Amino acid sequence: MSAAAPGEVVLEGASRAFVVRADPARTLKELFIGRRGSEASGPPPIHALRDVTLRVGRGEALGIMGRNGAGKTSTLRVLTGIVPLDSGSAECGGRIVSLLEVGAGFGRDFSGRENIHLNGALHGLNRAEVEEKVERIVAFSELGDFIDVPVRTYSSGMFVRLGFAIAAHLDADVMLIDEVLAVGDEAFQRKCLARIEELMAGGMTLVLVSHDAGTIENVCARVVVLDEGRVAFDGPTADALAHYRRLLDDHEGSTVRG
Amino acid sequence: MRRRPYAYLYEQMVRRELRQKYKGSVLGVAYYLVNPLVLTAAYALMFTYVLRFDRVEDYPLFLLIGIAVWLFFSQSLLAAAGSLIDQAALVRKVRFPREIVPAAVVSTQFVIFVVLIVLLLPVVLIVRGTLGAQLLLLPVVLGALGVFVLGLALGVSILHAYFRDVAPILGAALLPWFFVTPIFFRPTDFPGQAANPWLSDVLRWGNPIAPFIEAVRDVLYEGRVPGSGTLIYVAVAAGLALVCGRALFRRMERELAVVL
Repeated sequence: MSAAAPGEVVLEGASRAFVVRADPARTLKELFIGRRGSEASGPPPIHALRDVTLRVGRGEALGIMGRNGAGKTSTLRVLTGIVPLDSGSAECGGRIVSLLEVGAGFGRDFSGRENIHLNGALHGLNRAEVEEKVERIVAFSELGDFIDVPVRTYSSGMFVRLGFAIAAHLDADVMLIDEVLAVGDEAFQRKCLARIEELMAGGMTLVLVSHDAGTIENVCARVVVLDEGRVAFDGPTADALAHYRRLLDDHEGSTVRG
Repeated sequence: MRRRPYAYLYEQMVRRELRQKYKGSVLGVAYYLVNPLVLTAAYALMFTYVLRFDRVEDYPLFLLIGIAVWLFFSQSLLAAAGSLIDQAALVRKVRFPREIVPAAVVSTQFVIFVVLIVLLLPVVLIVRGTLGAQLLLLPVVLGALGVFVLGLALGVSILHAYFRDVAPILGAALLPWFFVTPIFFRPTDFPGQAANPWLSDVLRWGNPIAPFIEAVRDVLYEGRVPGSGTLIYVAVAAGLALVCGRALFRRMERELAVVL
């Protein structure tokens, strides 16, 4: 299905626009009557990604930075394969595991343990494969007895702990993380970063979106800075951070002056 | 590469569905068996004592078979319609074959339906004396019904994800549809049939669920092999529904994560 080798991430000329509507779904009535008032008056489509090309090798850690709305999350969503491109191509080799939203992919009325099974199954694992990992996941999450309680009772920190514990044990070839780690406390963040390094030593590729320069510096040797859906900079972390700060300063300056 | 990497996901979803269904109701799974029984009792009383409809022997059994098929059909479609929206959190997170979501919903309903039929079987066989070779066709007919409903459910679920008035329209259509479906009556035997013989053909063949009811009823209640016309209709309808439902689903699923 995918031409990319396991652990490889390739975006080529990727473009994607979103039509912004209060309610994304239409109705048959509108289809047959053939018009909808909100579409004409609504905001123009947002070009989340414009001709983005980037390539990440196996075992590499790429950071993505950019202002709000620069296309960071869209890049990850395109890489997971759940959002199709308007043009260009996106390929991730092997098993992709993503941590995009806190609590995404959980059934709220089911226990943490049941959600481990569900998440494993969602990534194509069978029962034996999940069972083999469950205890390690439970231990890593540090949820203790809460693992057998419905997750609707969890705090956001507990969601992240379970979410990361699952993601970190699914034998991912590519891991995509969007900001969520910031929700956990510092001790758990350190534990996550240590685990990520361990996984990367085993050949896992990481794409990490963060606003936190400290985390990015810690983990990524290379950073892509996105601006208005385009790649504004792609290179070593120190230079990228400098570029990102200039971008923020420029923006601040222009809004103050403008 | 394993042959069916998502079999466990499917199993998990069916289990979840079954558990979520009966959780919170005192009667548990039994609730799903009570529903058709109560409906049957109500209609049997109504037609036998109030409307004095006495053209069919063992009328409650005759009714119950029709109602069981109808409930499987209608409940599956209604549940499938909202299924992708219910599972939006999963659909937006991971790339997996999305057909699994409506398929799990239909499978759950199918399990409930088959349990009802199995419980009903000894009663029908004793009361109607229909133990015979035609029963070998029962799994075939039920299987075709399952495939037929699955095909429609795939179409309905993906349509409702994009057009949010599909489920309410379906809900509104099912009630009148119920009354023109040969559940209370035989399509070949109702007052005024002699004057309008074409009407029974419309009732029998114009309604895609009618031949399924007729086939199940032939096997269980009449104790005979369904006519070849019925069997061919049932097989073609099942195949056609599945092929079209899948094609529609595949065509429309691209933007699913965006519209949910």
